[in-house]
Amino acid sequence: MLFSPGWRAPIRQGEVLAVFSLGLVLGGTLSAGVVWLASGLAAPVPTTARAALTVLVAAVAAAREAGLVRLPLPQNSRQIPQEVLMHRLRTGSLRFGFEMGTGVRTYVSASSPYVLALGLLLAHLSAPATLLAGVAFGAGRALSAALTYWARSRERDALIAARMTWVKNATALSVLTATTLLLLAA
Amino acid sequence: MLQLTALPAGRLRRGLTEPLLPVAALALLAVAAGALDATVLCWAAVGALAGFALSGSV
Repeated sequence: MLFSPGWRAPIRQGEVLAVFSLGLVLGGTLSAGVVWLASGLAAPVPTTARAALTVLVAAVAAAREAGLVRLPLPQNSRQIPQEVLMHRLRTGSLRFGFEMGTGVRTYVSASSPYVLALGLLLAHLSAPATLLAGVAFGAGRALSAALTYWARSRERDALIAARMTWVKNATALSVLTATTLLLLAA
Repeated sequence: MLQLTALPAGRLRRGLTEPLLPVAALALLAVAAGALDATVLCWAAVGALAGFALSGSV
């Protein structure tokens, strides 16, 4: 694993983390840019209807995470090839992070990213606001890698696996609450 | 005299890197921003939450 203990490559692990994180943020920004371009199509729909649809999608996502509904979500069911890290670790990590950051090049194991994408598409915010959400998506994903690096624990993978159900459920419920509050304020 | 004992570094590190901590902080931020109609901040917090929800073994 890239950020687990036992690192033996000639490049510092922290440097790889920084480059990987930069890639994640750039990938998230690119995807947000695409969503913003497409969001103009939703502009003619009344604001309240768009907000209500976002809440509905967030509710379905929360129900899915809780196991109340079974709903397959579209995803690219493949792993990013490990060869991107084989030769040039710095540029490989940047590319690896970028591809993960776009959110469309590999598995998406939680429902919340779909709510984010659809919510931004329907909200039709300004370009900077949409891009900021994309940056935050990449940063959120980078934070997970950074915590693994800082934890310096061989049991990290097991801990993350044990917490993932909680993380996904808490995230989905928070997103549902936050989007509902935005709808009520609209 | 009261003796202060430092937390073992390992336990402190484990606590600070607990995966649920960022979720709690970002969830609070997203909900508070939603309640205050701070749309941009709310979506940024939702973005960070969505990214963190994809935590895995990298």
